[in-house]
Amino acid sequence: MDATQLLKGVLDVAVLAVVEEEDGYGYDVVRRLRAAGLEDVGDASVYGTLRRLYSAGALTSYVVPSEEGPHRKYYGINAQGRAMLELQRKVWSEFSTTMNALLGTTTGEAA
Amino acid sequence: MTTSTVTPEIVTFAKGVRAALADLPPEEVDDLTEGLEADLAESLAEDLRRTLPDPVAYAAELRLAAGLPGRVPERGMLTGLIDTWRGARTGVAEAIARNPALDSVSEFAASLRPLWWIVRAWLATWLLAAFFGMEDGYWFEAAWWVVFLAFAVVSVQGGRGTWRLPGVKGVVIAGNVLALVALLPVLAAARSWGGQSDDYNLGYADGSSSESSGDRKGLSLDGQPIENIYPYDAAGNKLTGVQLFDVDGKPLLPNRNVDETQVQQTPATLETGAQAYNVYPLTVMRMTYDDLGDLVPDPNPDPDKAAAYANGPFLKVPAVQGPPAPAAEVVATPNE
Repeated sequence: MDATQLLKGVLDVAVLAVVEEEDGYGYDVVRRLRAAGLEDVGDASVYGTLRRLYSAGALTSYVVPSEEGPHRKYYGINAQGRAMLELQRKVWSEFSTTMNALLGTTTGEAA
Repeated sequence: MTTSTVTPEIVTFAKGVRAALADLPPEEVDDLTEGLEADLAESLAEDLRRTLPDPVAYAAELRLAAGLPGRVPERGMLTGLIDTWRGARTGVAEAIARNPALDSVSEFAASLRPLWWIVRAWLATWLLAAFFGMEDGYWFEAAWWVVFLAFAVVSVQGGRGTWRLPGVKGVVIAGNVLALVALLPVLAAARSWGGQSDDYNLGYADGSSSESSGDRKGLSLDGQPIENIYPYDAAGNKLTGVQLFDVDGKPLLPNRNVDETQVQQTPATLETGAQAYNVYPLTVMRMTYDDLGDLVPDPNPDPDKAAAYANGPFLKVPAVQGPPAPAAEVVATPNE
């Protein structure tokens, strides 16, 4: 199965979870997602997702000036983002339970 | 926070990404790409084996993830037309699939595709041959058959989808549309071409049967116009005022194309007052063009020719032996 296809559906909740843990700028979020095991995540996908969550009002953003090199744009989660994350945690939990049950019972018959 | 060097490659890449997003509002582009250079520099510094991706693909991924619409194509109108065409085709295909009758018609039409492949090859050859004036009715002159064969091979191979090159499909569609548009006029032209000789023969028949015949009509011998007839009687003497008719009573008229023969005939007058050109021999006058280009009587006629025009080719011909012959028999054999 192509994990990148699955990733598209859960990238929102993954990004929210990472940012909830600690504010981060674009590549920082990418790095933490990869460190968490989502190694195939594309940086453009993450940047776009951050931007979309911000537009949707789930994230706050602020720019941190840098002495050397360009400024960094940090994203942090807000109340709406937390609510969204909670909801999606539940959805994922139920979904994964369903899928585990389904795949668990049919594994033997497949093949 | 890591600080990394922003290399020129990264700057170029970021420019490419922003260019691919240029159809979005500037603030949106800024929001999407703010910190892009720094992020990339960091990413490259961490993963030394990493290479920069295609900026356009990268921009597309950014867009998609950000939930923004895909790039509005720059070739606005043409792409719009193509999209409309594709949409219409899909719509038609769906409608056909829903209707069994239409479906079988469409299947039948699809089975005729090879015929179309040949037709378009013929069309291309005909147009090309016509350009050089070497078409022959619906067909072409000799060497063009080779061209037609070549076109047919190309057309059929293309139709069978032997060549799948990018861009070819568009050219083929445009070509087919053009061929369909051109087909009717070409068929009409080919038809009228083919009709030419028929029309000419028809006119020729008209001319030989009509008193009011104009130029280019009248009697001919082996394709050469006959401007006068010199009859001799059974004794071999010249006749005058001989009226000639065919079996239907149509007057046998001389060829009166004065421009070609440069001979002008004077008709005889019948007792009814009508003027008749089928009274032989006709009085003829040798004509020529003067300095102004007008047709005038030849001022310096060739004496021998003039005498022949006036008196006929022979003063006397050999007499016919025996009783007067039936009309169909040859009256005389011209000799010395």
